[in-house]
This record gives sequence, C-alpha cells and structure tokens, in this order.
Amino acid sequence: MLEIKNLHVAVDGKEILKGLSLSIHAGQVHAIMGPNGSGKSTLSYVLAGRAGYDITEGSILYNGEDLGALAPEERAAKGVFLAMQYPVEIPGVTTMTFLKTALNAQRRQRGEADIDAVGVLKLVRAKAKSLNVSEEMLKRALNVGFSGGEKKRLEILQMALFEPKLAILDETDSGLDIDALRLVAEGVNALRDPSRAMLVITHYQRLLDYIVPDRIHVLARGRIVAEGGKELALELEAKGYEHIVGQAA
Amino acid sequence: MTAALATRPLETRRAEAAAVWQSHGVPHRRIEEWKYSDLKAALGEKGIGEGLAEWQVQNLPAGVEMFDLSLPDPPDWVKAHFAASNGNVMGAASLALSAGGIAFRVPKDVAITAPLKLDFTGPGHVRGLLVLEEGASLTLVEGVGLTDFRNVGFEIVLGKGASLEHVRISPVAGDSVLVEEAFVHVAAGASYRGHFASFGSKLSRMELQIALEGEGAEAHLSGVSVLDDKRHSDVTSHVIHRHGNTNSTQLFKHVVGGRGQAVYQGKVTVAKGANGSDSSQTAKALLLGEAAEADLKPELEIFADDVKCAHGAAVGDLDAESLFYMRARGIPEAEARGLLLQAFLEDAIAEIAATDQRELVRTELLTALKGIA
Repeated sequence: MLEIKNLHVAVDGKEILKGLSLSIHAGQVHAIMGPNGSGKSTLSYVLAGRAGYDITEGSILYNGEDLGALAPEERAAKGVFLAMQYPVEIPGVTTMTFLKTALNAQRRQRGEADIDAVGVLKLVRAKAKSLNVSEEMLKRALNVGFSGGEKKRLEILQMALFEPKLAILDETDSGLDIDALRLVAEGVNALRDPSRAMLVITHYQRLLDYIVPDRIHVLARGRIVAEGGKELALELEAKGYEHIVGQAA
Repeated sequence: MTAALATRPLETRRAEAAAVWQSHGVPHRRIEEWKYSDLKAALGEKGIGEGLAEWQVQNLPAGVEMFDLSLPDPPDWVKAHFAASNGNVMGAASLALSAGGIAFRVPKDVAITAPLKLDFTGPGHVRGLLVLEEGASLTLVEGVGLTDFRNVGFEIVLGKGASLEHVRISPVAGDSVLVEEAFVHVAAGASYRGHFASFGSKLSRMELQIALEGEGAEAHLSGVSVLDDKRHSDVTSHVIHRHGNTNSTQLFKHVVGGRGQAVYQGKVTVAKGANGSDSSQTAKALLLGEAAEADLKPELEIFADDVKCAHGAAVGDLDAESLFYMRARGIPEAEARGLLLQAFLEDAIAEIAATDQRELVRTELLTALKGIA
C-alpha cells in the first residue's frame, strides 16, 4: 500500500530525511520509533502533504500513485489520514460542523453523495460513545478548550469516521495519562482491519504495549537504522536509543 | 442636560452648528481623526454640497411615533432632544447644510418587538433622531442606500433602563462616499448595542460618540467588514464613561483583500469620578494580499480609579497550521479558507442579539467571502 524509496526531504533548505525507505502492506501496523530530532514528524508531515516539506529525492508511492503530486485534501479523499501530535484549535467552527464539512468534502472528491446533517450526527454518535467523546464536546469550537486527552480522542474519532486506508499516528501518546492512553489505543485497535495499514510514530515503547505492531523501524538522523519485530521496542526501552543508533553509525 | 437644552430654541442650535461647520470645513487627512479617511480627497471637485438626503421607512412597527423634521411645530420630545450634540464637524454639517430629517419615539415602558427599518438614501445631508423613553425597547435596522455622497447625523437618546439594538448594514457601494455620525446618550441602566457590518465603498465612515451617563449604563459595539478591490470602511468610536459602574465592550473584525482598507479608531474615556467602570476593545484584521491595509487604533484615556480597561489590536494572515489541518482532513483549500475567514468573523457576528438580523449579516458575509477567498 505504501512504498517509500530513498526519500530525501528538506525543510527550509535543510535536509531532514536522508534516504528513508519503508514499505507497508494492507492489514499491517508498523511503528516508527526514534529519538527527538530524528525526522519522525517530518515523515508524518510529508506523507500528509504539508507545505514547506520538499521531497528533493526519492519517491512515495501510495497504491501505486505518486503521493507527492497530490494536494493534502486529495490524499485525505484517497484515504490517507494523519492523527496529529498537536491538533489545531479553531475558534468559530464547531466540532460537529467541521466533521460534517470534512466528511462530505472527502465524499464529494470521490464522487459520492453528501450525507445530510442528521446522517452525519448518527454516524458520529455511533463512534463517539466508545471514545468517550461527549455531545457537549461536539458542540464546542474545534479543539478549543479541549484537554490533551480530549484532543487525541477527537483525532481518533475522526479516524473512525473517515475510515482511512492508511492511518498515520504522530505521537498520539504524547501528553496522555495511562487511562487516556488505554482509551485511545483501544480506539485505534478497533480500527485494525485487513484492508487498512497503520503507521504509528512514537518516541516511547509505552504506546506499543497497547498497539502491538507487526514491525518496528528505528529512525535516526533521517534514516532507518534498525528494523525488527515487536521485541525491538523492548530492547530500545532497556538499552536506550544510543545503543542501537550508535551501533548503526 | 436635556432639560436645559429644551429652553434653547432650535434656531440657536442650528446657528451653533453652522458656526462649527464654517470654522472647520471638510475634514482631510492632515486632521488626526481623518488621517486614514481623507474625505476632502474622496469628494474631489464636487465638494460636500448642500441639500436634503432622503429616507425610507421600510417598517414602522405599531407603537413607534414618527415626525418629519422638515415640518413646522415639532413636538416637545423633538424640541427636547434634537440637535443637542453638534460639536462634531460632520455632525454639524448635517445640521447646517440641510433642514430636515426623520425622528422617532418609543414611549415610556413600551417594548417594540418588530424591528424599525429605516434606510437613508439619495445624496446630501440628513438628520435622524431616535428617542427611547424610560424602560422602552426597540431594534433599529438601518439600511444604507448607494449615492455619490451622503452625510447622516443621527442622535439616539436612551432613557433610564431603555434598551436599543442598532444594526447597520452598509453594502458594497463602489464609488459612494458615505459618512454617518451617531451621537448616543445612554441613561442609567440603559443599554445600547450597535453592530456595523460594512462591505465598503470609495470612502465609508461610521463615527460613534457614545456617552454612558448613569449608573449601570452599557454600550456594546461590534462590527465586521469584508473589503475587496479598493473599498474602504472606517469605524471611529468614542465611548465616554461619564458615570461610575458603567460598562462598554467593542469587538471589530475585518477581512481585507485587494487594495481594500479597514480603519478602526476607538477611543474610550473614563471621566473623573467614573470609578468602577469596565471597558474592553478588540480590533482584528486579516489581510489577504500585499496591498490590503488595516489601520487599527484602540486608545484609552482614564481619569478615574478602580477601572478595568483592556484593549488590543492585531493584524495578520490566515493561520497556516489551521489551513493545513483542514486540508489534511479533506477540505479543499478554497473551502478551508472560506471556513476559516467565516470562523474569524464569527464572534463579532454573534454579538448581534436579534436572530433575523444576525442571520442576514451572516448570509451577506458568506457571499462576500466567496468573492474574496
């Protein structure tokens, strides 16, 4: 589903990713772990299409299509979803309005009919309960005054609503206490599906206790320096990044 | 104050206005308050002219009394309040250069639910007077007709505990030069809510002088503008807290594209002895192009103790993070920009209490934003 080859990405002319290669198949969950400044967030942004993240070399193929050539909204409509580390607060747009607008914008791009307000509300309610997203939250302005946990829960709610093919979770565990983490992880696990691929980006092994990956890649200084099964996370936790990153260097 | 005025003949008040007007003449950019709105340049050779502009009452609710100011023998309520404030240059011009206008009164303790709809139309100068007696309440919806040049001087007098919501919508008005001054007197316990939506013209200025004259008097001003091409819109306000424990808020939001220009000059004065007063002023503009301009100037003048006054102004572009967030969730760029612009204006629109008027302003803003985003 996702085939990244020798990817080089520059931000403000400075190269952050320096030849990253990675491939993920449908039904798999991969984790990217790495120390601060290794390029984890850059990878998530370049996959979602944020301006200012320039691909200078290499390629990203998504279902055989050049992902780099698509606008962010086109990627979303084609099933790419990035759960952001810092969801943006947007005063003046209620959460429900935003969900409805985004869902129908994606559907329209795929040539599907709009779902009316009542229909969207039903869909949202069906997903909101298990994620502990209240009706009151849906009425508030998007992410405004939400706690860290509420913001992350709303990200996962959107993931459930949009039903992406490729979900990228950028530091979804950051700022969560253990109960919130468990709730979010359960939400993510519920979305594991043979037709869906997930890329979980995290600094800590903790999240991977709850979302168990099929494969782990260690990112350091813009490259994948180690790969392995879920046991690699435990090794990282025990020995630290320096151990593995140092070996690779 | 008004009792004393009633003893001064109307002719005297007109003569005083004429003297003020003659000593000042047409304001231009070298006069501080008109720095961003050069009326003299905008008028060009045609000058300010004389003669009476027109008005149309689109809806006169039952219970509202009306008097044509060009008729002889005005009733006592007109005599008591008409032309009480004439120190302002253009206000004085509206009195000195025309002999008419329209006056309304809502009697004591009468609550009018249907809106009074009044349009000023045609070129020239005209006066308006609205008196809400003690405990009365009303919604005034003011329309602005297109013309070469018009100057409206509007006096609004709110008695004790009276309540007025004033919604003025100034449409896209191309080459029009439109100037209006509102002089608002707010007695104890009374409330004035003014909302000014503007889509701009060659020069468009709404000037407000608001006096909070008794315990608990309130003024809540808000406005939105969407300005494209070379359109200009100016709200210049001066709120004077003459009495203690009075409250004023101001919230103005502007979206400016093309070579548009938004001006907000807001001055709040807390007079000596007006202790315990509370005021806030916020003006924000989003500039959508290199040539778009916003001149936001909140100002405070405090002569009292124990007052709470806050003011702020900010000019910026659409937030790139928010735009990316929306696009990453599938909302195309143009739609996302439109939604963010609407969101930016939303809190100022929400200040309109009357539901119908709020929806009307929202709809017109959406249309204007589609053209600009």
